[in-house]
Amino acid sequence: MKVPAWRRLLRPGAVPVALVLLGWLALPYFDHIPQYKLPHLAQVGSDLWGLARSGALWAALGDSMGRLGTAFVLGAAAGVLVGLAVTLSRSLNDFLMPVIAFFNAIAGIAWIPMAIVWFGFGSGPVIFVIANNVFFIVLYNTLLGAESIPAIMYDAVRVLGGYRRLTMVREVLVPGAMVGVLSGLRTGLAFAWRALVAVEMIAASNGLGYLSIQASRVFDGATVVSVILVIGAVWVVMDRVLLRPIERVTVRRWGMVGQTDF
Amino acid sequence: MVGIGTAAPVLPGPARARPAGRVGHGVALVGKALLPFVVLVGLWQASALALGLSNYLYPRPALVLRTFGVLVQHGVLLSYTETSMWRWFVGVAAGAGLAVPVALVLTFYRPVARMMFPLINFFTAIVELAWIPLFVLWFGYGFKVIVLSIAYVTFFPVLANTMTGITQIPRTSIHAARTLGANRWQMALHVLLPGSLPGTVTGVRTGAGYGFRSLIGAEMIAAQSGLGYMIFESRANQLTQRTIAGMITIGVLWLVIDRLYLRSIEKATVQRWGMQRRAPR
Repeated sequence: MKVPAWRRLLRPGAVPVALVLLGWLALPYFDHIPQYKLPHLAQVGSDLWGLARSGALWAALGDSMGRLGTAFVLGAAAGVLVGLAVTLSRSLNDFLMPVIAFFNAIAGIAWIPMAIVWFGFGSGPVIFVIANNVFFIVLYNTLLGAESIPAIMYDAVRVLGGYRRLTMVREVLVPGAMVGVLSGLRTGLAFAWRALVAVEMIAASNGLGYLSIQASRVFDGATVVSVILVIGAVWVVMDRVLLRPIERVTVRRWGMVGQTDF
Repeated sequence: MVGIGTAAPVLPGPARARPAGRVGHGVALVGKALLPFVVLVGLWQASALALGLSNYLYPRPALVLRTFGVLVQHGVLLSYTETSMWRWFVGVAAGAGLAVPVALVLTFYRPVARMMFPLINFFTAIVELAWIPLFVLWFGYGFKVIVLSIAYVTFFPVLANTMTGITQIPRTSIHAARTLGANRWQMALHVLLPGSLPGTVTGVRTGAGYGFRSLIGAEMIAAQSGLGYMIFESRANQLTQRTIAGMITIGVLWLVIDRLYLRSIEKATVQRWGMQRRAPR
């Protein structure tokens, strides 16, 4: 049964949300907290409206999403390619895996200073660090996917005459590793988003993260809170529009168990 | 003829378990693991010579090694590592310590849980580092901001995994405790807490990993000490060899924490209380 949108507001889940909002609304009558520390709801609302009207919000959002997209594509493509290559060659695997494990341990964020040295402040370091982040996640998940292919599949293709390596790659490895690749893309996007805001705060001169840290420097609490709300909202939308559908497809197609979720 | 036995199985997966063997085998294994790093440093040195970039843009391995010596000698590295680890530890402990009781309460009061989920989901959706500008407005730079963002990011995976852990406790254990007259308190203490431990530990390991990244990021934005601060400030002072030394320290530190401590704790917990492993990443 389809529930109309307004009816959903009456669900029990709306109660705590409403309480939080009410508490926030009531704050001016009780508090001695300065505006810049915890701006009033109305203040945040008008700030958000102002940001949207002036186009600053859309510009920042556009910058951030553009970087996210570029970095994600670069990192994911490299991750899948290296993942497949490492799977195909045992010696390459033995040689590369310790190095990969080490570089994976250097959290993507730790590359920020060097990325600034190499690319200067702006989009360069942001894209580098996030692509780096995505690369390792997609790589490990591709390996996991390839590992989960039962050996019998290879034997089956071999029996049927597919003894060329390329045939194996096309018929077994790529489709078999696909589950891993897809879950890697999903996790990778989530991590990319986490990192994006942080890197923008440190190494960019525009975008959502920069907007927020700059506001904090001039004690503009309303903008800081506005950006936090926008960041939450963008993630909810991305999750619904991009990630959930990917998960549904993988679960339906390969019967994979979904990630722990509320 | 295509022989099943004759074609060497080149494809199937990496990381096969090798049979544990003689002492010489162990030495060979260590050598095998070190070799790639030796080659890596060789490539680093060779490329530095070939590219001829300045030490600022591309510090040489020898310089980084010497910098390590200097940083250790002056006690900077140790003291910053200590500062960072303490922040990380307090943050993870606070986040996990808060998440477990919340998970128990949400398990006991299902209607409350259903009410809380949308709110929890929304806060999960907000990246912890996005809070930092606000935390800075509240507390200024330093310890509180960093610990708070680590605790924030640890809280959610521990909560989710503990709740999953509780739902995977066999019904019979719960029924048995109830039959024997356990009250809520006893149920929590003797059945739910130990039963959910594998989930909690998995959550803590995930959260600790997020927290470690968060630590480095937060220290770059809002600290005057710690490893994150060191790698960031060194760049501003044109001392990128210190940045590289710091990055290597961060990588080794995380490998040690994860491999030696977190993984073995998880394994021990799963063996003792768990039925099976869940959600590896």
